[in-house]
Amino acid sequence: MYIKKISILVKKELKDSFYSPLIYILTGLFCFMMGWLFFNYLMQAKTLTTVTMTQAVITPIFGNMNFIFVFLCPLLTMRTLAEERKQATLDLLLRSELSEMQIIIGKFISNAILVIFMLSFTFVFPLILAFSGYSDWGVVGSSYLGVLLSVMAYLSVGLFCSSLTDNQIVASLLTFCILLGSMLMVISVNATNNYLLALVVQYLTVPFHYEGFVRGVVHSYSLVYFASYLSFFFLLTLKSLQSRKW
Amino acid sequence: MELRSDIAIDIKNLNKSYPGRVALSDISFSVKKGSVHGFLGPNGAGKSTTMKILSGLIRQSSGEFVVNGKIGFLPEHPPLYPNMTVQDYLQFVLSIYAYQKNQKQLVLDVMEKTGLSHVADRLIGNLSKGYQQRVGIAQALVHSPEIIILDEPTVGLDPVAIADIRALITKLKNDHTIIFSTHQLHDVELLCSDITLINHGKIVVSGPLETILENLKTRMVINARVEQFNDSQKSEMIKKFPLESVEIISENEDKDKKKSINLKITANAPESFKKEMARFLAAENIGLLEFAEVRLDLEELFKRMIH
Repeated sequence: MYIKKISILVKKELKDSFYSPLIYILTGLFCFMMGWLFFNYLMQAKTLTTVTMTQAVITPIFGNMNFIFVFLCPLLTMRTLAEERKQATLDLLLRSELSEMQIIIGKFISNAILVIFMLSFTFVFPLILAFSGYSDWGVVGSSYLGVLLSVMAYLSVGLFCSSLTDNQIVASLLTFCILLGSMLMVISVNATNNYLLALVVQYLTVPFHYEGFVRGVVHSYSLVYFASYLSFFFLLTLKSLQSRKW
Repeated sequence: MELRSDIAIDIKNLNKSYPGRVALSDISFSVKKGSVHGFLGPNGAGKSTTMKILSGLIRQSSGEFVVNGKIGFLPEHPPLYPNMTVQDYLQFVLSIYAYQKNQKQLVLDVMEKTGLSHVADRLIGNLSKGYQQRVGIAQALVHSPEIIILDEPTVGLDPVAIADIRALITKLKNDHTIIFSTHQLHDVELLCSDITLINHGKIVVSGPLETILENLKTRMVINARVEQFNDSQKSEMIKKFPLESVEIISENEDKDKKKSINLKITANAPESFKKEMARFLAAENIGLLEFAEVRLDLEELFKRMIH
């Protein structure tokens, strides 16, 4: 029954999203940027003789993909709870038999499915490479896993920010500031020459863990990191929803 | 806290405070099963807060309440998804409130009951405000609650839509206990068997409407128009009759430059005093021009209680 209730919410959210033009605009934008980057890296790879196809195309394309999602995720999640607050439908959900956590999970899963939908268009890149004899599927698989985990982390931040306000623009800007802020923090800390502090802050940021996946290395501590990251922001979102009753 | 079988909701010493503001202060009242209970009060009195606490949307700071049955709630702003059709929306609400096998039939029944069958396939965002309010009521009904709480269901509607909602509530009152807040005192007089009046977070009066109106009849309000009225005449009048107040409402002058004064006399007096008072005012030095008793209705009660 727990899963059944979540699936009802997921279905409704997906129906809403696919009826809205936003997802198609974002997917179009994402495909255009990724296609353009892929084409350029591929053209560049022809002139490089000392690097493998993975180093010349796969690693940079997935690095850029992760960065593009820092911009796209706030736009994807901005309406998730902010719109429900604005339309007063959040109270309808909170009064129902759905628990706060079921609402959060349902909203999160529906956003994750949208991201998978967007990502699915990039499957064509490794297929194109396969025609030229590329076969390092382990790296491709781990890179996709890395992108998915990173984007899920971004979505959890977006979900939390969306629960704080009924203004979608505020929610999206707040998400973007947190995501970009945490990345810029690494640069600032590196500038202090404090090795230990830099190491700790680096460990706390998504790109540090994502890098391993793109190189084809799946560290267990990175999986723990992503699980903790998601749990932390789920907990914050839960507290934010519960605070409406205070 | 135990609940009598004839009571749908029993509230005891409910308090709700926000930082720097007390929203509800020690309120207690009960709602009889099967009744239509009007919840009255000016804006900011604490009506919506009470309703939100009863429906589980916010928690009380202290005090307790017992509810005998499931609650369906229509907040002041109906919780609607404008991009969904009426039928899909009700289906969704039913499935997250109480998953049942015969969902479709239940939704059809509620749409029939609330007069929404002919707009079942229309997007909620394209409906008129009156119909959107009906959809709001339908979502409160769809999971078959015993108690329905309606927070200002007629606010912002045109007179035709108000009449429609009133008729809908009348239709529902046979099967449900209904609590509703409104500023339309006419609605309360027409629909409610009991009322609770709240102001500044405190209960002013609560009980059967008839009893409350009956109690008002022991008070008398008279509007009189006289030619002249001075302070000594006022003192003499207060000495002679058990009056609560004598107020000069206005002073007028007609086209022949004849002056007249409008008085409002409030008395805790039996009917027999009316004649004596009229005789007193008809005395030559006052000159009575008009004398009429004002019927104390719910509106008068509302005005008196909140000031």
